[in-house]
Amino acid sequence: MSSTPVMDRLIRRTVQLSLPLNVHFDLTYRCNERCVHCYLDHEDHGELTTSEVLSVLDQLAGAGTLFLTFSGGEIFLRKDLFEILEYARRLGFDLSLKTNALLVDASRAEKLRELGVRRVQVSIYSAEPAVHDAVTKVKGSLERSIAAIRSLKRQGLQVKIACPLMKQNLASYGGVVNLAEDLGVPYVIDMTITPKMDGDTSTLSLRTSGSDLLPIIQSRSCSNRSSAPDALSSAGAPQGSVVSSGVEISAYDDLTCSAGHNSCYISPYGDIYPCVQMPLPTGNLRRQQFQEIWRDSGEMKRIRAIRESQLHVCSTCEIRQFCERCPGLAMMEGGDLMGPYERACELAELSARQAGVANPVSAWHRRPEGALPGVIPAGKVAAAHART
Amino acid sequence: MTSNVITSPLAIRRNPKLAWREIDGEIVIISPEDSRVHELNETAGLFWREADGKRSLEEIARLLADAYDVPLETIRADVEELVADLAEKNLLLVADGRGDQ
Repeated sequence: MSSTPVMDRLIRRTVQLSLPLNVHFDLTYRCNERCVHCYLDHEDHGELTTSEVLSVLDQLAGAGTLFLTFSGGEIFLRKDLFEILEYARRLGFDLSLKTNALLVDASRAEKLRELGVRRVQVSIYSAEPAVHDAVTKVKGSLERSIAAIRSLKRQGLQVKIACPLMKQNLASYGGVVNLAEDLGVPYVIDMTITPKMDGDTSTLSLRTSGSDLLPIIQSRSCSNRSSAPDALSSAGAPQGSVVSSGVEISAYDDLTCSAGHNSCYISPYGDIYPCVQMPLPTGNLRRQQFQEIWRDSGEMKRIRAIRESQLHVCSTCEIRQFCERCPGLAMMEGGDLMGPYERACELAELSARQAGVANPVSAWHRRPEGALPGVIPAGKVAAAHART
Repeated sequence: MTSNVITSPLAIRRNPKLAWREIDGEIVIISPEDSRVHELNETAGLFWREADGKRSLEEIARLLADAYDVPLETIRADVEELVADLAEKNLLLVADGRGDQ
């Protein structure tokens, strides 16, 4: 993945200064689909009101946030979405949306363009209605999502398809790639099925086995990244994807990821986590100001202090370069932010084997059973994730 | 200082569709239409902050001249060149008078 010099400098500066450049803001957990793999509780437990959301946006603008992603749940279920977007536009954010797009028609697509929304990511699970609709549990959802993608494209918005892979749609991988090509949009295949945010791990049973994923890992066009450029480039510089995660950028050097360094997550209830995949409560915006939480939270400081070289096991792993270890998943699945977890080791070994490494074994799998320091039993993880 | 006025254009404002932020003292701008990211140097950044549609180009040039303690004539050429560059990239909207374009 390439990045532009301007973006590289920006990321480096914001990491060094701990400025919240990227914020992922879930406006609601309510949803009009019931995807089998979803990690959310769709009941409304007291979402931030319109005025509370606008106040949070003011605080984020003041803190230096530039890249703002609104997601959910389904954001178009919020009746005040366009009011929020309009306010965010006035505050100068770079706006991205994640949606199933069921409620996006031509008129709403036009409005999104007028509001300067730059990117819209739409979840598609299969090019076959029977498979996609079985995942979402909404009949006709594929047809509606595709129609919305076409409307968004007609408005000139950057649209990307996101396809989480699980047992239900593993065979649909090629069809989704072809669909993306037909629609003229980039896609991202996501092999990550996560536990629910309350620590419930039942969704993990939907995961495909590593060996089933091997053909996809072998496909150089996938590798958990968009194949077509998801472009954000500086004038005159080569096109390249920059914003999506940025973890490849050298600015992160000895950091495990961007969470807490220049990015964070805000829940519909005002909770701030280092990342959507790291449900570690650091504070709540109904009780505190954003900057107070971002700068002073003990948990945020603890996350910021973690270095790749301090990881209990992974820092000694010979196939670390093939691993896409996520600290949040390490916490949710392995019980330790700084420890390994089975899925990452499994996929790293597959990737290493694919790259020609003879008999690759992760450092965790080399250790004698039970010799892992700092790891708590998975069943106790939920308590550590309880929302504030 | 001389009272010569930059004759054309007079009214300028930032393109309202842009995303931009001052980060660590520098202005970073992103255009949603082509996803290009732009970074302004210190002088251009000072100009950008003032290009709110409420001040004329002449007024902004005077502000810059004062800020850098240089003659207005000296800074005019730079400002006009900057405006042309930003307008060409559709970062700046330019009109022949004050008010909305």
